[in-house]
Amino acid sequence: MKVSFPYMGTTVIYKKLLELLGHEVIEPPEPTQRTIDLGVKYSPEFACFPLKVVLGSYIEALEIGAETLVTSGGHGPCRAGFYGETHKKILENMGYDVDIIVFDGYKRDIMGTIKKVLRVKNGKPWRTVWKAIKTVYAMAKALDGIEKRIGQMRAYEIHRGDCTKAWQKIKKSFDDVKTIEDVERIEKESHILLDEIALRDVPDSDRLRIGIVGEIYVVMEQSINLRIEETLGSLGAEVERSQYISEWIDFNLKPGASAKEHELYILKKGEKYIQEIIGGHAKQTVGHIVDYAERGFDGVVHLMPFACLPELVSQSIIPTISKDYNIPVITLPIDEQTGAANVLTRLEAFMDLIRNNKKTKTA
Amino acid sequence: MYNFLMFLRGFNNLKIGIPRALLYYYYYPLWKTFFETLGCEVIISGKTTIDLLDKGIKASVSDICVPIKILNGHVLELLESDVDYIFLPRMMSIRKGEFFCPKFMGLPDMVRHSLPGAKDKILFPNISSLSDDISDDKLYYDMGQRLGVTDKNIKESLKEGRKVWNEFRRFSKEDYTALEAMDYVLEGKLPEKQVEDINITIGLMGYVYDVYDDLVSMGIVDRLRKMGVKVITFEMMDEVMLDRELDSMKKRLFWTFSNKLLAAGYKFLKDESIDGIIHVTAFGCGPDSLIGKLMEIDSEKLGKPFMTIRVDEHTGENHLQTRIEAFVDMIYRKKSKYIKEA
Repeated sequence: MKVSFPYMGTTVIYKKLLELLGHEVIEPPEPTQRTIDLGVKYSPEFACFPLKVVLGSYIEALEIGAETLVTSGGHGPCRAGFYGETHKKILENMGYDVDIIVFDGYKRDIMGTIKKVLRVKNGKPWRTVWKAIKTVYAMAKALDGIEKRIGQMRAYEIHRGDCTKAWQKIKKSFDDVKTIEDVERIEKESHILLDEIALRDVPDSDRLRIGIVGEIYVVMEQSINLRIEETLGSLGAEVERSQYISEWIDFNLKPGASAKEHELYILKKGEKYIQEIIGGHAKQTVGHIVDYAERGFDGVVHLMPFACLPELVSQSIIPTISKDYNIPVITLPIDEQTGAANVLTRLEAFMDLIRNNKKTKTA
Repeated sequence: MYNFLMFLRGFNNLKIGIPRALLYYYYYPLWKTFFETLGCEVIISGKTTIDLLDKGIKASVSDICVPIKILNGHVLELLESDVDYIFLPRMMSIRKGEFFCPKFMGLPDMVRHSLPGAKDKILFPNISSLSDDISDDKLYYDMGQRLGVTDKNIKESLKEGRKVWNEFRRFSKEDYTALEAMDYVLEGKLPEKQVEDINITIGLMGYVYDVYDDLVSMGIVDRLRKMGVKVITFEMMDEVMLDRELDSMKKRLFWTFSNKLLAAGYKFLKDESIDGIIHVTAFGCGPDSLIGKLMEIDSEKLGKPFMTIRVDEHTGENHLQTRIEAFVDMIYRKKSKYIKEA
């Protein structure tokens, strides 16, 4: 069984999990213009952008031999929860004979979930499964830690591109992980690698910090959000994302209350503006903006797929938050029509504004 | 402040505004009777006009769907008139495990924080119930406290509301549109019989706030009827029967009204007495983007004519007329050819 998965963020993590369970893994190629074109061609015109990109990436994975796709479902009420079903229908209609295993919330269909787990488990003993999960979780934590550090460093690198290069190298070296000890070793090595990058010295008062909030796919997947972190870094801003995969695991999958603390804290912050969880990450978006403002960030970039249902609600509320907390926020809707030059110009203007803001504030 | 106002006016004159948008077309008989039995005066905003829509567009983010822009327009109109409160419930769920579109669930938040002057005027009880009947008194107690009425009052008024709403639904199912049914239960006006000869039956898929807002659908029901078409919509069908239609689906959609639409769509596909299906959808409707695709694929399989009409603030009337005329003509020809051959 040749297995593949949707492309999002640091894919080496999902790849590793399936590999450790003994599957033959077909890694989907990083989304390119072709991926987007394919997705757009076969998706409903008004579907949200992630659905199109993921469909495109499925098609590309199927082209290079994948037979089964493993993905996560959802419980709504945002459209993302229905991706699995829609993709299946479209792919079948296109004539692909493909098996999509969708992991929904287990409460919806307990027997079904057990069956799916057994299929993905691939006949391995539970001990191996447990070890695989532990290793991959450690890996996700390690990679996210490194990525966070890179987000801060990139603004001050002397040779443009050093950090991004190092990041590529680090992701590759994590590919060799077999056990949890490997993770620790490679994590250490990676930090040493990062220590070697030459950085400019910038006084604390001149540091610009930008938070990135929004829908999880466009925030995490750099190939479709115009490499926003690199772009902001090259414009001289430290970057922190609101979404990291390990945090998602903590909140959605890991049992126990302590793991959920951070997310609940953020949700609490958003309460004032959006009272209920309305699907997607709208409430988190609002909560994160408040959190960034309180932590003294200089600005926030809000990313959303075009016509994303929950993010439209947060977008409507953002001007009020921006005023209440005196923090500049720029909203960038992303879809297949988004032009790089347009976004870059807007971001440059946004950065100028923030820089001036800061100067007048400190002067 | 408002309590003081109430004191000055006497409770009887408390004015409650209800925007003529979104679920107004499904729940107005309930809400109107409820508030009037409570002793409030109910004020509804006028019909959707271009002017009102323009105001709504200016107050909304640009990418949001037309129905929400229209709602914003209606709320602005109510804010300008001197209502004391605007009733805008937070619709969470009317079926176990299902929800409303995220925009409905966040609607009060959106309106309170984006329309100037709306913050303290919105009444937004959280509606989550197990069936279409949302007249459970517990849902409205909090709001009652804000209005200064007792739980007992709420309970009795809801009982009245429920009666009228049930009557409205019953009448609806006798092949009358929601507007006709509303006129009947609230004003006792019996709808006129369709005079033209009926040759064709078309299943119309569309949310109540798209189909019955004349600015959005441009009176598509009347247009079709004038062409001698019998129109069936989802709210003319029995809820339980609709619900069963979706049993074959492995995973249902998350949105109750979208499920109703899809179920009606599937029913239309199977029902031999339905000659064609028209799907009316507003630009930027998220759930519809998925339903549309599912219907497109399935209608092709079963060989039933299916057309999507997507409307937004720029849609022209002639365009709509031409398309439905062509669609009806096509069905008509197909049908007469079939009869000749037989």
